[in-house]
Amino acid sequence: MSDRIKKFLSSGTLFVWFCGTAVAASLLMVGGVLLLIMVNGLGFFWPHALVEMTLTDGTRVLGELKGEEVIPHSATPEFPEGKTRVRLKVGNRDLYGLDFRWVDTEHIASADSPKDVAAFERREWGNFYGRIREVSRGEDVVATGNQEGWKALQPLIEQANDLQEEIEHLQRDVIGDINFEIEGTRLRIRELELRGQDDAREVAELQAMTSQLETQYHKHVETLRALSRQLDEYSVLLVETNGQEKRLPVGQIVKALRPNDMDFFEKILRYFMNFWSVLSEEPREANTEGGISPAIFGTVMMVLIMSVAVVPFGVLAAFYLREYAKQGLIVRVIRIAVNNLAGVPSIVFGVFGLGFFVYAVGGTIDNLFYPEALPTPTFGTGGILWASFTLALLTVPVVIVSTEEGLSAVPREYREGSLALGATKFESMLRVILPCALPGILTGLILAVARATGEVAPLMLTGVVKLAPALPLDHHFPFLHFERKFMHLGFHIFDVGFQSPNVEAAKPMVYVTTLVLVMVVIVLNLSAVALRNYMQKKFKASAV
Amino acid sequence: MTITSSPSSSLLARIGLRTLRRWLDHGARGVITLGGWATIFSIFGIFAYLFIEVVPLFYTASWSEETAVQIDTFSEVPPQNISVGVNEYMELGYVLRNGDISFYTFPDGTPIPLAPSVLSVVERSRRMPDFEEGEITALARSPGKQHVYGFGTNIGRVIPFYVTFRVTFEDDVRHTEPVVTAGEPFEAAPDGSSIARLAYRETDSGPIAAVLTDPGRLFLTKVQESEAGGLFALETESELLQAEITDDGVDALSVLVLDDLGETLLGGTKDGRLFYWDIRDIWSPRLMGIYSAGTSITALSYLIGDRSIVVGTERGTVAVWMSVIDPDVGGDPRLEKIRDFSPHDGAVTTISPSLRDKGFLTADVSGGVALHHSTSGQTLIRIPGNGSAVLAAMFAPKTDGALVLDNSGRLITYDVENEHPESTFSSLFFPVLYEGYEEPLHIWQSTGGSDEFEPKFGLWPIMFGTLKGTIYAMLLATPLAVLGAIYTAMFMRPNVRAVVKPVVETMAAFPTVVLGFLAGLWFAPLLEKIFPAVAAMFLLIPLAVVVICVGWQFLPSRLKGTSGNVTELTVFMLVLAGTTWSCLQLNPQIESWLFDSSYKGWLQSSFGLAYDQRNALVIAFAMGMAVIPTIFSISEDSLSNVPPHLIAGSLALGATPWQTLTKLVIISASPGVFSALMIGLGRVVGETMIVLMATGNTPVMDMNLFNGFRTLSANIAVEMPEAPHGGTLYRLLFLAGLLLFVFTSIVNTLAEIVRQRLRARYSQF
Repeated sequence: MSDRIKKFLSSGTLFVWFCGTAVAASLLMVGGVLLLIMVNGLGFFWPHALVEMTLTDGTRVLGELKGEEVIPHSATPEFPEGKTRVRLKVGNRDLYGLDFRWVDTEHIASADSPKDVAAFERREWGNFYGRIREVSRGEDVVATGNQEGWKALQPLIEQANDLQEEIEHLQRDVIGDINFEIEGTRLRIRELELRGQDDAREVAELQAMTSQLETQYHKHVETLRALSRQLDEYSVLLVETNGQEKRLPVGQIVKALRPNDMDFFEKILRYFMNFWSVLSEEPREANTEGGISPAIFGTVMMVLIMSVAVVPFGVLAAFYLREYAKQGLIVRVIRIAVNNLAGVPSIVFGVFGLGFFVYAVGGTIDNLFYPEALPTPTFGTGGILWASFTLALLTVPVVIVSTEEGLSAVPREYREGSLALGATKFESMLRVILPCALPGILTGLILAVARATGEVAPLMLTGVVKLAPALPLDHHFPFLHFERKFMHLGFHIFDVGFQSPNVEAAKPMVYVTTLVLVMVVIVLNLSAVALRNYMQKKFKASAV
Repeated sequence: MTITSSPSSSLLARIGLRTLRRWLDHGARGVITLGGWATIFSIFGIFAYLFIEVVPLFYTASWSEETAVQIDTFSEVPPQNISVGVNEYMELGYVLRNGDISFYTFPDGTPIPLAPSVLSVVERSRRMPDFEEGEITALARSPGKQHVYGFGTNIGRVIPFYVTFRVTFEDDVRHTEPVVTAGEPFEAAPDGSSIARLAYRETDSGPIAAVLTDPGRLFLTKVQESEAGGLFALETESELLQAEITDDGVDALSVLVLDDLGETLLGGTKDGRLFYWDIRDIWSPRLMGIYSAGTSITALSYLIGDRSIVVGTERGTVAVWMSVIDPDVGGDPRLEKIRDFSPHDGAVTTISPSLRDKGFLTADVSGGVALHHSTSGQTLIRIPGNGSAVLAAMFAPKTDGALVLDNSGRLITYDVENEHPESTFSSLFFPVLYEGYEEPLHIWQSTGGSDEFEPKFGLWPIMFGTLKGTIYAMLLATPLAVLGAIYTAMFMRPNVRAVVKPVVETMAAFPTVVLGFLAGLWFAPLLEKIFPAVAAMFLLIPLAVVVICVGWQFLPSRLKGTSGNVTELTVFMLVLAGTTWSCLQLNPQIESWLFDSSYKGWLQSSFGLAYDQRNALVIAFAMGMAVIPTIFSISEDSLSNVPPHLIAGSLALGATPWQTLTKLVIISASPGVFSALMIGLGRVVGETMIVLMATGNTPVMDMNLFNGFRTLSANIAVEMPEAPHGGTLYRLLFLAGLLLFVFTSIVNTLAEIVRQRLRARYSQF
């Protein structure tokens, strides 16, 4: 027997099993994290059923069921398993103070999913769960009762949403344009003063323009007020499950749903509508509700600018190292340096970006080209350009290494053939080597983009903000505003998850953002892998 | 591959196609070389830039004499009746003596004529109707304020006196105009005797004065200003609160100072004793202690914040004393000498504290001036004297200069380069005795609520935190990643491996902000609930693997299939998932069996460890996860790159796979595994988002697995947005970045060199 044990031990099977378990653990961790993000992120869009519970003390609770657990330290001789409790999202933050509530299972007398309860998504204070008591226009009651009210409310909400859109258009586009022009004339006057060319006529002209713009501004503000009044014209009296009333202007309601009254297909439809609205809408309530469209936009813009900056430099450096430089100690040292750069923590790039790009370069640009705006910095503060440049530095090793790989995969015969046919080195680079290395360059670019998309730490120092007043791309000349601050998916996760006052209510939003970010990064990575495989196959085939 | 071109083109015809092509080729070579070098240069540029930003931290301060003007002779004026001051731009200064004030512009040093309004105030203050024959015998600067004085007279009165610099802008040019005002005099020596020494302080509710009269009596006076009763009466009423301090030895006092809060009074005597009074109750001042400074005390000053006191003596010694309260005993603070600075050649005549940090200026009888900084314990600058005693001096409000008046009548301004007085190598890396602490400690606490806060720039706690996070994360990641790599490279079927490897590598693509978020908001609260189960897992999973492995040997091989296939991997996963699941199910039971029904209480009582929700264990999991794919992937590469004919040879010679693995593969691939670990280490050390989100970011120094820490990287992310450009904190954060840069560079270079060697060795086979 002891021989068998000895043999078993010396065969190393046990060790192999431990190794195997390590792989299994890694796989489970990846799978678990992906699953966690998928379930939480994708579950967010589903219209959850509303449960109405009557408790043993006679009060009632209405909300979405969000989980069940054993109460810690509740195991008693009678309940060896411990008592359980359920967690409900009860909404109505303005009435209850908290969005979530724990209910002990033993206190539940009955539970039900009535079809007539509705979830109202509001512009402020989160969701309201309850019923409608009456809908009124000013003082006059238009409809009473839950059923009547529900019917009357639907068109009103649509109307209100249209109005809201108009208001937003007016605020952002029309009034935004006027403000932009006013600021422009102010800076122009200041510029003339600074140059000492402030001859009275021109300044007076500009000032006249300003006052004209201001008149326009006031006119639009009036219209805006009128619209806002119109928005508040209709109101709805809601009642929560225990009879507490809440009057709400219809304009406050984004959408109203009766999830218990929806069939499966309606829910699917609603699911995709919700998904789309998160992707396309602006954030509300300190980013914890609404959509993430500016963050997506900012991320894409930043990555694009970064790509424009990183590709030429990375490719040039790779061509130099692989094709032009004399292979020797220096090139080896440079390769090590490039590799090191890839290993330098991203926050260090952030520090460098802040010191060099923002303060040194940006500050100089401000002094030379934007003295009229000082002391408000234009480029001397974090902005999308500096963030993109910082990330370009961060990702340049990825492009170099990948391009070099691509170049080294090009068979030697191609070069020799091209040169033998009389092409100069440059010509054979441009017409033969570059096309062959293109998949390698693209792989590098995709990997760089994937890395940049997920990187947050350096952005926090170089220009990302929680809420950007304006997108870096708009219809004002010069259309691309490199100096503007921007929003970013990764920073959105950090900000909403860790710096919002109501973390619990913000969690779904964070999961959704996480889902979007992870999907983008994984798709990018997979496409890089696919491209690389394609490249390897192609050259394997052609080398034969 | 043909070069198509039309020879008819005139340009080409002239210079020739061949030449053009050659030029193009040369040009391209130039551009590519330039681009290559530019990229490479920028890599080294990053290091250079970080270095350039850090270096000023360690500059020694420098000085230069800017102005020296002869204004008058002063030999007959006692020093306690003279003061000088300068505004924050070092443009305008004044000399105050016997109640006279004269202003000078700098750097040219020309006196400016006083406006009649200014004169009249001076005149008026000297010839107040109720003390017409009064003569100014002493003056004192109010602590914490730049140009607020009290004048003491020979009939026991004190007159508040204010110098302000009114700044106006005209066409963006700054004009500064001095304004002088005098306050309401009050009786500080009730016996009407002459004031010999004065300590004065202006508070919001009225001035406080401590006066030593010529006969050697010490009086404390506070003017209590209160709004007079009645609804419409706006004039203030004032009331004198007064007490005499009668402790033994007060008649020997030579220096007297009040603190900024008006809570303590300090006196120094000619025989070297230091008196320390509690004066919070004006009616009954209380002596808290008498301390011996050795020799006659000639100058005294509080530093900003009132906790540190600078004592200058006749022998020229300069020392900082600190008020300490025993945390165990409580009660009155006592004074303790904590630092000696390099002494002057002669008696110290003046001490002028900085109004923005813990720096101060001292000057002596032979005209020498020195600048010191209390926290870092260093004498920054020593300016040799020319033999004439310094009568009065002021450290410039922005600590960038000094104004000095000596008794030969020379008024001198110095320009001082003194950007980062608080940072020295030893104040950053060695324990420092900070105000309010009992012993020298490593502390990082860069910002406080006010100017009085003493910034604590000990880098150790943060470096320690970095180390702590790295160690725990690597402890978790190394076995998982390396063992996993061994299995994947050596025992896994190629078709399984083709799936498993990319899946694990996907994990590398996970943005760390996502891992940080999950760790902080999902895992940390979960772990707090299921900690007993997790602790049990570390024991039970290996046990379960052993048991199932042994059992597996008895299964018929028909069921098992070849080793390294999907079945085997599924079994591993099932074992793992099953054990984890059972541990989670049994969490309450495990807690009661292993941890006396409450693991937090158990940790506290058995090891004295407190459990924070966001702790190093959470970080170990999250950072471990971030780094596993890196280590896994590189180790796997080097293991599977062991030349196959070596393995085949070993197996052909009769070695078992296990022997081949331990005796050949692991040994020959170990440099690769080592470099994988190094690269992983580099990644963990600089990881920012996970640490930022999943620890409490408290810079504490202990290895407790269950509390948080702060790392260099997270520290940068937390503090950089608030660090003013060019300040000490800003540069220190650059230093943190530089440390990270250097560390990761060393580690990565090591890894790369090892890898290149390995590659060269393999290519020999």
